[in-house]
Order: sequence, then C-alpha cells, then structure tokens
Amino acid sequence: MFILRFLARRLFQGAIIVFLVSALIFTLLRVVPGDPVRLMAGGMAPEALIEQIATDMGLRDPIWQQFGRYMGGVMQGDLGQSFVRPANGAAVGGASFDDTTRSERAEVLTLIAETAPMTLQLALLAMVFALIIAVPIGVWGGLRPGGWPDRMALYLSSLFVSLPNFWLGIVLALILSVKLQLMPAIGYQGFAYTILPALVLAIEIAPFVIRTLTVSVAGVMRQNFIDIAGVRGLTRNQIVFRHALKNSSVPLLNLLGVQFSMLLGGVLVIEFIFDYPGLGLLTINAVMQRDFPLIQGIAIVTAAAFVLINIAVDLIATAIDPRLEY
Amino acid sequence: MLDTASETTLLSVRGLSVVADGPDGPRQILEGIGFDLKPRQILSVIGESGSGKTVLARTLASWIAAPLRVTAGQVLFKGRDLLADRAYARGLAGREIAYVGGNPAGALDPTMTVGAQLVEKLRAVRPDISASDAKAKAIRLLQAVRIPAAERRFHEYPFQYSGGMMQRAMIVDALISDPALLIADNITQPLDVTVAAQILKLMRELNSEFSTAILFICSSLPVACDASDEVMVLNKGRVVERQTPDRLTAAPQHAYTSALIAELPTLWQEGPQRRRPAATEKPIMSVRGVSKAYETRGKSGKALVQAVRHVDFDVFAGDNFGIVGESGCGKSSLMRLLTGLERPDGGQILFQGEDVGAASARRLRELRREFQLVLQDPYGSLPPQSPIGAILEEPLKIHRIGNRAERRDRARAVMSEVGLHPGLYESLPTGLSAGQRQRLNVARAMILEPSLLIMDETLSALDQTEQGKLLDLFERLQAQHGFTYIFISHDLTMVRQVCSRIAVMYLGEAVEVAPNDRLFFDPGHPYTRALLSAAPTLELRRYRPEDCLLEGEPPSPIDLPPGCAFASRCPQAFDRCRSQNPALLSRGGQALAACFLNPTNEATHV
Repeated sequence: MFILRFLARRLFQGAIIVFLVSALIFTLLRVVPGDPVRLMAGGMAPEALIEQIATDMGLRDPIWQQFGRYMGGVMQGDLGQSFVRPANGAAVGGASFDDTTRSERAEVLTLIAETAPMTLQLALLAMVFALIIAVPIGVWGGLRPGGWPDRMALYLSSLFVSLPNFWLGIVLALILSVKLQLMPAIGYQGFAYTILPALVLAIEIAPFVIRTLTVSVAGVMRQNFIDIAGVRGLTRNQIVFRHALKNSSVPLLNLLGVQFSMLLGGVLVIEFIFDYPGLGLLTINAVMQRDFPLIQGIAIVTAAAFVLINIAVDLIATAIDPRLEY
Repeated sequence: MLDTASETTLLSVRGLSVVADGPDGPRQILEGIGFDLKPRQILSVIGESGSGKTVLARTLASWIAAPLRVTAGQVLFKGRDLLADRAYARGLAGREIAYVGGNPAGALDPTMTVGAQLVEKLRAVRPDISASDAKAKAIRLLQAVRIPAAERRFHEYPFQYSGGMMQRAMIVDALISDPALLIADNITQPLDVTVAAQILKLMRELNSEFSTAILFICSSLPVACDASDEVMVLNKGRVVERQTPDRLTAAPQHAYTSALIAELPTLWQEGPQRRRPAATEKPIMSVRGVSKAYETRGKSGKALVQAVRHVDFDVFAGDNFGIVGESGCGKSSLMRLLTGLERPDGGQILFQGEDVGAASARRLRELRREFQLVLQDPYGSLPPQSPIGAILEEPLKIHRIGNRAERRDRARAVMSEVGLHPGLYESLPTGLSAGQRQRLNVARAMILEPSLLIMDETLSALDQTEQGKLLDLFERLQAQHGFTYIFISHDLTMVRQVCSRIAVMYLGEAVEVAPNDRLFFDPGHPYTRALLSAAPTLELRRYRPEDCLLEGEPPSPIDLPPGCAFASRCPQAFDRCRSQNPALLSRGGQALAACFLNPTNEATHV
C-alpha cells in the first residue's frame, strides 16, 4: 500500500519533470539560430522549396502549436521522425534536394532503442569498475581517518580527478590496445569493446565514490552504536561489515544514482573518442545536424531515465534505512 | 583459596589510577580507586561531573582508549586481572560484564530491528545458542522489562521505540547473556522522572531475579540512594566514602558528602530556599485557549499530532512562571507559540494586550524586543565562528540600536553583568564551558532589555552547582531589571525553588495551574501527584510511588482517546474519565486543575 502510494506520487512528479524538460528543450531548440530545413534540403535548394517543406512539416506554426502536436505524439509513444536520418541508415545531410534515392526518414524511437542498450552496457560496466576500484580504498580510508589509508585515498582521488578523460582515453588506448594488444579500442564489434571506455569512465567516477565513502564510513564509525558495539561483545568484523558498511551505504547510493543517470544521459566525450555507438555519439551527431526531433527524443528519454533511477534509489535507500520515510 | 575468594567478591578493584594524556602532560582522572563488589550486590557510585565516574565505568568495561591510560592498579574479576590480560577482558565484554550507557537513543544500529540486534549480540558472545532460542530469549526478556506487545516490538526499529523503551531494550541487551556484572552508567539521566522511576524499580527486580551484581553510576544522590545497597562517593578521582544509603544520608563521614547533601534542593522541607517574587495582578502574557497541531505522515496516510490543546494561563509581571511536564507533553511546542516562532491554530496569546499569534511579521520583530528566548542546548545555540562580542551585538544590529561604539559598550556591560569576563569580547565561544555558554545566551537575550525572558530548559544541561550559580544570577537580574521569567522545565526541584506559579502539562494540555506551595502540598491532579512521587529526593515523600506511580507511557498524541488524556495511566480513573474530558476548573486560591475527582461545588469555569 505504502509502496503503491509512493510510486504513484513519484511517477506523477516525474511526469511533470519530463514535461517541463521537453517544453524547455523544445523552446530552446526553436530559438537557436540555424534552420534545420536548410540543412535537410541542402545548400542548393531554392528558398521557395525550403519554405514549402517547412510549412508542410509544420515548422512555421506557432511554437505552442508545434509543441502541442509533438507532445500529443509523445503521449502515444511516438517521438517523431529524424529530420536528417533515413530509415536505411545512409546520411542525408548535405545531399541534393532533388535526390530521388532519399527514402523514408528514421523513427527517433528506433534510433534511441538501437543505441540506448549500448550506453546502458557501458554505464553499468563503468559503475562496476568504479566500485571495484573505489570501495576498498574508500572503506579503508574511512576506517582509519587521519591515518595513511585515509591520506592515500585522498591522494588517489586527487590524482584520478585531475586526469582529463580525453587524455586518459587516448593514453589507455595507446598502451592497452596498441602496445599491449590486450583489448580493442575503437568502434564496437563485441563486448570487449566496452571495457576500455568503461575503465576510463570508472576512473573518472571513482574519486567521488572514494570521497563519499571515506566521509560516510568515518562518520558512521564515530557514532555511538559503533562505539558501544564492542562493549556489547560484537567482533570487529561484525561491526564493520554488518553495521558500519550498511549505514554508510545510503550516501553512496545517492551518489551512484546521480552518476548513473549522468552516464546514461550520454558520455559524450568518451563515446566520441572511442567511436562507441551509444546515446552520446547519437547526441553529438544530432546536435551537429540540427536534428531537432532526435535531440528532443534523447532529452525526454534521459529525463525519464533520471526520474526512474531516482525513484529506484530512494526505494533501495528506504529498504536499507527504514527511517527515511518516502 | 581462590574459589572462596570468588565466592565472596565478584569484582575487586585495587589501587586503580587512570590519567588523560593532554598537551600539558598527563592529568590524573582516577587515583588509587579500590573497592569490592559481591555477587548480587548493587553498588552506586556518585560524584559530580568531572569526578571520574564514567571513566571508572569504562575502565571496568574495558572500554578506554587514548587519551585515557591506566597507570596503576588491578581490576580483578573472579580473581583474574582484566588489565593484565586483555584477551580475557575482551572475552568477558558483553558476556560476563555487561554495560548500559546513558544514551539509549544512539546505542543500536538504526537500520536493523531491535530484535535482530539482540539476537546478533547474544550469538556473538554465545555462538552455541541457536537463532531461534536466542529469539525466544530476547522476547522473554523484552516481556520481563515490560515492553508492551514484545513479540511485535521485537521486529521494530530503534527509531520506533521511545526513549524509555529503548533504555529497557538496552537493559535486555545487557542481561541477555546472563552476565555476572552489570555496569549501569547514568542510565536514568536522559529519561523523564516517571519513566526513570520505572526503570529503577525494574532494575531492582531484575537484580533479584537474575542475581546480577550491579555497579550503578549516577550523578544524583537521591537516585543513587534509591537504587542501591551501598553508595560510594567519588570526589576528584578518589573514593571518599562508602556506606549504606541510610547511614550515608544520616551520618556522612566526609566533608564532601555532607556538602553534597546540604546542597540538595528540597521539595517539601525547609532547605536552601530562594526568594520567590510575589505575583502582581497585572498579566504580562495571557494564553487563551491556545491549540496547535502538526501534520505528519503516519502509517496510514496523513495524521495530526495534537501538540498543544486548549492551554489557558496568565503570566503576571515580575513573576516566575513554571511550565513542567515530561518529554512530548507539548512544552516546547508551546514555547514556539509563545515566542511567535509559530502561530497557533486556535486561541490567542496576548503579550501586554497584543495578540502575538496574529501580529504581522514586522510587528512581531518589534515585539520580540520585549520577550526573548534562552534555549536548552549550550552548544547548538551559539554560532561557533563568531566572536562573543559579535554574537551579543547582533540583536542590537537587527533592531538598529546605537552606533558601533555604543553597541560595543553595551555588549561589554552585559557581559560583566552575567559574569563573563569582558576580556572574552574578541574570543570565539569555542573555549567556553556549558555554564559560561548559558551565561552568554542569557546576555544575548537581555541585551535588548526585554521585559519577559522565556527559559526553555536553560539549566538542564548543567550540573547542580552550576545550576545554583545561574539561578542566583537570574535572581539578581530580576531584582535589577524587573524581568518576568517563564521557566520551561522537566525538573520539579528547580521549579520548586524559583517559580511562584506552575503549570503542569500532560499531552498538550495544562492539567493543573497552581501557586508553588499549593502544587507541592495539595496537588489537584493525579498526574501531578505521580510526578511528585517520582521526583528524586532524599526527603520522606508526601506521595508514595506505590500509590501514585504510573505504569506505561503516555498514549501517542496522534490518536488521542476520548475523555481525559490521562485516563489510560491514572490509578484513580473511572468511567466518566474515559468518555468526557475534564475542564480546567478553579479549586480556589488561584489554583486550577482538570480532574473530576476535585469537588465541584465551589468550582467555577474560567
């Protein structure tokens, strides 16, 4: 009962957030300079034809009308069609306006559905790597505040956080792929192609995880119930693994929720560097091609993912610490 | 030889000395402590704060860490030295030697159910006991300490327990492994008097039932005498006296003990009394039928917590008005209403004839010059990063009073008035003691020259001696400035000393409002009698706990029963109490009470 009411409330709030995000993106895209029809039809197309295409596509209607039409589609699960991409995969941008080989335009939903699982895979693997790197360092640092594990955690996070990801990506690709030939780097032809970009992302995320964990573990270890647990007769292992870690996992969970949402929203630089066919690469191309429907679609899907992840995080957090009322 | 020794003494402390290492070298905390404890004996250890009681408790529980260090002595438990054999001591912790602390609120992991943690602890020290046996034992003990619906409560989380219930759960936690020695360090201190009295009674019963020896550490002499077979007095790290409670109070042998007894405020006898101002007839603050409810999210959707219900009283100019009651009775909510921090849902709060609850934000700020608040927590109530002078001048700045130099002079003047050295003007409050901090809080409140000061548990964080000094200060300030005080407190002895009229609150209602002597000698409400019966005192009680002491705890202010809110705990409740709520009626001579047992012939509604 409790959980149903919670879900209903949060999903309703989420829907409002997604709606506001769509409205904002929609309006912003319409006011930035650059006419998408000009890009679609090609530089050589006559002005009258461009006007005609624009009017046919409804791009000359008032913004609120366009938005209403668009949201009507979204409600029915139709994110519209890409301005630029044809369904068969060839690029249209810059092609001649009277090119007869031009086919049906691609569905935005299909484009996203093709790339999103790739990004999801990358994001999940990056999280796993980040946790493997950060949890031991962070917990150890938190158990010895002021001691050398704590300082090592701090130095390591400073180091990780100051490595630019594009540089690290290139260096790792050079060492691991080119020199040592351990794994592939560019493009995607199988799971192995995910490892390298995930590693780079993990090193980017790890400092935040380390920092959050040291602070929260150190904070929990100072609490009365930990202090008194030894006097009650519990062993050090029970105290650390059963009580301290559980209590310090809530701040970590919140951080992971935010980080994961950001990863899903598209890791632009990394996907671009590794030519990884995920949402990030799709976004970059969509922006460069003024592909309004695609940008909007990605924004809506990302916002929805963000909302859902946060609901999940809050649910798990309440399961860990029942004091956090929904 | 050893066997007979362990028959007669369970714990034997010999020449125990502990120091605290600091930047100025080691400071002696305990010096040459020596005593024996027999099986099944209850020994109280008392002393003021800083006497080393807690360090002693922790040393015996093998729970001392840097900067504390044992420099000499032996702690023999059943003939073996705990200090020499750390592994032996660790093996005993939680199993043979159990410890209960004074802060039950944070003593268990908030993310696990109480039951799971009791089972976890028992199985940690006794791995041979199966999980189901451990659960059965935990539930049996929870019943033994009278936790209602123990089987359901077993599966609840610590935050769902009240303070008193949590302390009982911690006693279960200590006793579940059948320890030979229980170290109880200030276990009643954070509890309300009626609940503390229940816990003490319970501890004695458990002592006879489970034959556990108890070392009962406490800072209140009356409580210590109530609780134990023998009392040991600790002063500046040394044992100065050890006697049975009767002999100790009748014939104290050490000057420190005599001073401690002489200093004790009394409830009924002529003790060290303070001047209580004579009440004038001019009300400075009138509370008329004030109510406040807060919305919370309960188990089944939204719920209303009725924090304050139809409270009525007048505070006269130059008066010391006391508001007493236990935690959760609505004292603090009422304080928030009186100071205009929140507005009442119903009723009026008239300050010099003007309604505080209806005043505009701007008018309220002007009115606040006239009534100021001093809070309970000496640490949280001061900004740690501002110098003392700046803290004092801030109210003047807010109200745009004086220029820089004038404000500075005013701040220095107020500082010397409350007994803070003016040389502290530039320093941060970090170095101040709790007592000095409360002086600073009083100074900050009185710098605007208000006419009414509201003291919300201002003295509860301070020890007896420091409390006395601050009460002297309040008295002097009142004589000089003609302040009116409202003391909000749970401490009956403090209220008895200083207040001229007292309101007793229970579950958001004022159940009795009466002049001081009338309240203590002729209380008109059974709840007041229960409070008086539970108040820690060495005197012969006018109200015996056996007749008046309450069982259980107050009902939740969310689902209040119809009728009198006190009926569920009242030893004298009858049918009418359960259907009808008695109104606050006059008993003559300015005394009012809300109880059907009072004769109604002279009663007139106010």
